[in-house]
Amino acid sequence: MSLFDKFKSTAEQYDALVAAGGRDPFGVSMDEMLGPTRAMVKGREIVLAGTNNYLGLTYHDDAVAAAKEAVEKSGTGTTGSRFANGTYDGHRRLERELADFLGFKHCMVFSTGYQSNLGAISALVQPPDDVILIDADCHACIYDGCQLSGAQTVRFRHNDPESLDKRLARLSPEVKGKLVCIEGMYSMFGDVAPVREFVEVAHRHGAYLLLDEAHSFGVYGDGGRGACEADGVLQEVDFYTGTFSKSLASIGGFVASNHSELEYLRFSSRPYMFTASPSPANIAAASAALGKIATDDTMRKTLWANAKRVHEAFTQLGFELCAEAGPVIAVLMKSREQAVMAWNFLMENGVYVNLAIPPGTPNATSILRLSVSAAHDNEDLDAVIGAYTALSETLSAMEASA
Amino acid sequence: MSGIQEDDDLVFHKICSLLEPLNDKGVKLSRDTDMIADLEIDSVSVLDIVMDIEDNYDISIPVNTISEIRTIGELVDAIHAIKKEQSAS
Repeated sequence: MSLFDKFKSTAEQYDALVAAGGRDPFGVSMDEMLGPTRAMVKGREIVLAGTNNYLGLTYHDDAVAAAKEAVEKSGTGTTGSRFANGTYDGHRRLERELADFLGFKHCMVFSTGYQSNLGAISALVQPPDDVILIDADCHACIYDGCQLSGAQTVRFRHNDPESLDKRLARLSPEVKGKLVCIEGMYSMFGDVAPVREFVEVAHRHGAYLLLDEAHSFGVYGDGGRGACEADGVLQEVDFYTGTFSKSLASIGGFVASNHSELEYLRFSSRPYMFTASPSPANIAAASAALGKIATDDTMRKTLWANAKRVHEAFTQLGFELCAEAGPVIAVLMKSREQAVMAWNFLMENGVYVNLAIPPGTPNATSILRLSVSAAHDNEDLDAVIGAYTALSETLSAMEASA
Repeated sequence: MSGIQEDDDLVFHKICSLLEPLNDKGVKLSRDTDMIADLEIDSVSVLDIVMDIEDNYDISIPVNTISEIRTIGELVDAIHAIKKEQSAS
């Protein structure tokens, strides 16, 4: 039984968390999807405000038509990896489209965003000569990429280029390759990295910069090319990683670069080589969504208008917010218990957001994480703001009686 | 030897002062205290405490090293080893 002993305390905490609110926040089943912002959950229609579907393209006519056509023409799955039989014309074409859109020379498509970071980091960096430096708040896939590489990994303070500078300066002169990993917008709090300063510090020390724009692609920058475009340093990023499962409304991921050596990853990156490639439908949908992002900025404008409306409303309600207005709006809760209670309260009021608690959050905080979509209409946003208004009243009443 | 002993105590006390705010159960801290099992501190909070230690001693402690550490005593020893190594290079 000792194999399972380690789960015991977490399992007990999990059970207590479910018992406290009567629902499992990490096991919600969308019984029937009604569109990008609505689903039936246990017989009740819920407004979805925790989906990362920033541009709301999952039901766009072009994406749906392209996916259907791809299934009919190329089948339901590739049944093979990129390295073997799983590279179709569509995979190659999408790599070209992404590279052209971003202005990089090379691009590789992976099966998920998780595997893109896992595959890039683990292949680029090798122990004992190379070192990785990561922002403390980086996503699990970046941590896992470091672990898979086996190389020495040093954390620096979140969004703090000076903290990175110090750690790069401390490295032994024997270190050969240095890879710095940051994200554009961080998914939990929705805060944005000072990419320009990080580029400067990394390159001054002869380090390469890997930037994960998973949540900021399609959303930040005048052309939707991410936080690095907004900061005017897109072309200085060594490795640009992204996902299809947010603004690109599909599943898959990519790494883009001007270093021609990126191509070497095709025969050295295990998460690229030893898993099946994205299905033709996934590729076609991502390609169609990219086409929309490249040619039409109305969704991005709607998203930002929605984000500003929600952020302003929450500020007026007196909630403590984790970042400036943006597509992720995280409300800081006083405790894990309060966060669980509030999450259940919002579900009872017909709104789904993400409950996020330690260790999945920065600084051991408990938050209600909301993501805004361009597909949210005024009725959706009224429902969201209405539920948070009721929540704010309930929390105040509880505080007054405590 | 007494120099190392004193330094040991200083590092030990520094770590304890960082752990104390998270020591909700009021466990008596010793070299043998397991930070995750005894204090129920999550793995990310341990990494954050190490970040404070890094800035305090101007050293870098790789995540790889921290993931193998369970007790306060092991952390003290790791800090010593790294201080020695980084002052040598």
